[in-house]
Amino acid sequence: MAGQLRTYAFINAKLRTRISKILSDELMDQMIRVQTLPEAMHLLKDTPFALIESIYSQTGDLKMGELELFKKEVDLHIELERYLQGNILNFVRALSTRFEIDSLKNALRLWFDRSIRGRSIEEAVGYLYRDKIHYNLNVDSIIYTENIEHVINALQATPYAQIIINNTDRTMEAKSIFPIEIALDHYFYRQLLNETESLESRDCEITRRMIGVEIDMQNINWLIRFKSFYNLSLEESIQHMIPEGYSIDRDAVSSAYTSQNITDILSGIVRKKYSSLQTMLTAQSSESYSRLILIERILEQIMMYEVRHVLAGYPFTIGIILAYFILKQNEIKKIMTVLNAKYYNLPEERIKSVL
Amino acid sequence: MIFTARMKQLVAVVLDSDVDRVTKELLRQGVLHFVSISEIQRDWKNKVNIVTPEISEAQIGEIRKRIESFFGLLKYYPGSGRELDVSRLKAVDLDQTNKTLDKLSLRLQGIRNRQSILQKEILKLEDIRRQMELFGDISAGIQAGSQYSFLNIQTGSIQSSRLEGFTTALKIIPSVQLSFQEEDNRTNLLLITMKRDDKQVNTVLDQYGWTDVELPKEKLSLKEEVMNDLEIKLNKFRSEQDKLNVEVRDLLEKELDSLKEMWSNLRLNELFYKIQSFFSKTSRTMIFSGWLPESRRKALEQGLRRVTGGRCYFEWHDAQEVDDDRIKAVPVQFKNPKFLAPFQMLVKNYSIPEYGTVDPTPLVAIAYLLMFGLMFGDAGHGAVLFILGLIASLVDKSKKEGRHNLFRLITWCGGAAIVTGILFGSYFGMQWFKPLWFDYHGIITGHASHSGYVKDVYGILVITIYFGISVIAVGLLINWINHIARRHWFKLLFDKGGLIGAWIYGAGVYTAWYFVNHSYKEMPGANLLFLILGLPVILFMLKPPLEFLIDKRKDPGKKFTLLTPVDFFMEWIVEMLEISSGYLANTLSFMRVAGLGIAHVSLMIAFFEIAGMVGGSTSGSYNIWSYIILIFGNALVIALEGLTAGIQSLRLNYYEFFSKYFIGSGRAYEPVSLYKRS
Repeated sequence: MAGQLRTYAFINAKLRTRISKILSDELMDQMIRVQTLPEAMHLLKDTPFALIESIYSQTGDLKMGELELFKKEVDLHIELERYLQGNILNFVRALSTRFEIDSLKNALRLWFDRSIRGRSIEEAVGYLYRDKIHYNLNVDSIIYTENIEHVINALQATPYAQIIINNTDRTMEAKSIFPIEIALDHYFYRQLLNETESLESRDCEITRRMIGVEIDMQNINWLIRFKSFYNLSLEESIQHMIPEGYSIDRDAVSSAYTSQNITDILSGIVRKKYSSLQTMLTAQSSESYSRLILIERILEQIMMYEVRHVLAGYPFTIGIILAYFILKQNEIKKIMTVLNAKYYNLPEERIKSVL
Repeated sequence: MIFTARMKQLVAVVLDSDVDRVTKELLRQGVLHFVSISEIQRDWKNKVNIVTPEISEAQIGEIRKRIESFFGLLKYYPGSGRELDVSRLKAVDLDQTNKTLDKLSLRLQGIRNRQSILQKEILKLEDIRRQMELFGDISAGIQAGSQYSFLNIQTGSIQSSRLEGFTTALKIIPSVQLSFQEEDNRTNLLLITMKRDDKQVNTVLDQYGWTDVELPKEKLSLKEEVMNDLEIKLNKFRSEQDKLNVEVRDLLEKELDSLKEMWSNLRLNELFYKIQSFFSKTSRTMIFSGWLPESRRKALEQGLRRVTGGRCYFEWHDAQEVDDDRIKAVPVQFKNPKFLAPFQMLVKNYSIPEYGTVDPTPLVAIAYLLMFGLMFGDAGHGAVLFILGLIASLVDKSKKEGRHNLFRLITWCGGAAIVTGILFGSYFGMQWFKPLWFDYHGIITGHASHSGYVKDVYGILVITIYFGISVIAVGLLINWINHIARRHWFKLLFDKGGLIGAWIYGAGVYTAWYFVNHSYKEMPGANLLFLILGLPVILFMLKPPLEFLIDKRKDPGKKFTLLTPVDFFMEWIVEMLEISSGYLANTLSFMRVAGLGIAHVSLMIAFFEIAGMVGGSTSGSYNIWSYIILIFGNALVIALEGLTAGIQSLRLNYYEFFSKYFIGSGRAYEPVSLYKRS
């Protein structure tokens, strides 16, 4: 117990202070209500997101601001690593692999667009993250190579080369980068779950639960994409699922495709553990795409419930780190959604429906 | 100063036809803290109708905030509202105002889009630069360009007379061109472009008669010039972006006056409709109600009579008429002098005192500064805080009252530390002058003379305990005043901080003092102990049954059962435990004042020791490193101890002092006014 206290006392105080600075729903509402992007930007002026406003004022470029936010998030993980050691440090390092994988995915998408699809990528190249997280990725040498062998060569010193080798045939066959993207996600969660094993029992339990919900969300997210963009069959989709989800397994996904009532999938767990979310179970849809979206929404709420649970409970656990990252990620996602919606002049109701 | 301002409640009835004139007068005077009519007489709710203003203040507020977002881009912040003039209030057309702002927004968005286009060009050039950085020399670039790169690097020549036109034609395409040789009226050029622009580039090349030539070996070092050229182009784009930023400012500055005018009118309308939202109506009259300080009553009444030509009816009520349940609804206006504003901020930060109770601001000022001074007793460090606080409050031009008060609080704390520093003879941890009270440093190091009143650390601890007892005693005294003012006689007697509670505390203090003064061997005599300690404890036994009887008078249904005496007994026991442990903890808590003071001195001693060791001498001579350590040490102590002493003083005030008397259930006096009041 004393060890837990020593490990988490400082980080707990630091992160709770930061959590208190997370933008309020009221400010988010104000951002949604204003008429134009510059007005929405102005509301960020006296917040921790002032940077994005100043970049926008200088460049008029929203994507540059987005890149800066990404950099800030990576810096935050790296900063946090300074205060940690041992197994927890390893776990947080595994967690920050997410950014490296996101960055790699972006580079691979551009490479694929340029060399396989023959599309112009120049406008997107400037928004790539180029700093080192764990490995030297050198994204420029990836995007300008001609074939996949050169991509593998560029990634030789990283574990990602083998992942691409393993998925080369499927990628070429599917004429899409998604087999590699899924394999990278699998790799990320496998690493994360491996690191979870060496944590103390209470930390391990919290981590498994929260990562489990995240895996569920990721799986549902992929399923939505398979269904709407790749037209994959149920069997093919299930093959790509990331294992160790918290409440959604392969059977549950099958019912999501076939059953009209989403309560079939989540009712057990919601009734048992998240009774406050029961009203969401009453929603029904005859269309499987909408059902998946509904499940995604319920999972988001489950995740938020877990975060609140962690914040209200015993403070000296790894939960505070996970809760902070989830809340921060959520905050950044919301801000960027609103700003992009303002850029495209979307109406208030539409923005609210996607948040 | 000790009590908050006396408040009066107005209930007014005016004719429907006078309502706009009345609203404007209420706004001009800005003294009425409105309350809903139903808060006065609940049954009125059914007899009068709530007025729904034509335009909601929320709608107006939204548009006002839109204008403020434009102001923000110019770093212009509207003033406190004193510049607003009610006579200039005119009807507001929300649609028209929105349209005007939309147009302005659109123009701004246009400029941002142009900035964004420039940014894309910058990113492309930065990409070219990144690519070029990968190549050792130009030849590597030419070779790589054919394989992986999206760059097209080529060398060729055109007629020198056509060079200017060629350069102009390429201006719209992200490119780098460098001339490296001139012969036979032809200029040799190195041209770097993007492959995606090949079609456009080839058209220009064909148009100007481009002929490929090979790059001479001696020109392979052109890379540096290419990079310079790129840098020049990048800087040009950036300065164009800056110009667009200036354009944004110019555009807004041009519109500033009309925006200010729009803002003022919106703000006036917003407040106008806010006032009307508190009105209720009958068929031909309007009714409204609110609180104001008694001193403002005459002016408001005269003003309202003037604008209505006497066609009005007023009813004035004293706050004393309000029953206990609704006293919390009476707004509270502090009436402290301005120099106490930082301490008033500390009180408000805790809570607003209930109407009719003591405003502790002046006492907090004294207690806070004494505590801080005792914990941070160094005249040098105090002077630093004093100067920093003073400079910050003079330099700070922001309209943030809280920040300004914080700087003033730091100045006050610095002043307190100077005084106690002189009393302890401490100046940046050194004794430049003899202490006026006792030698704090000498006591901690064990070198103090033993002639004074305070001879050792225990002496310092005793001072802080006496200090704590005094603070608690003052708290109890205020508690009695509060109960007397509110005519709560039962609580005056039986409250934990009431007369009997204080009797027990006083007896406890005397007994402890007696025990210590008799070398921890003797207690006061049994008779005396019974009289000072036993009797109040027994008297406290009367509290639960008396409370029961009072409650029974209010609620005759309350029954006396067999278990009721057991309840009385348990209640008594628990209360006694609470009183004894609570007072003991409250008093001992003040020992932290000594603890922090000792820590302050100890830290300084440690830094002097380190400085001496670095100086390499036991005689106390210092070298440059010693002085650096001393400067760093002093800075660290000022920052660290300043913060700690500030927080601990606040904590002692909030938990040991306020808990004795503070009834923080009041609500602040917030009249609908053109400008904000403190």
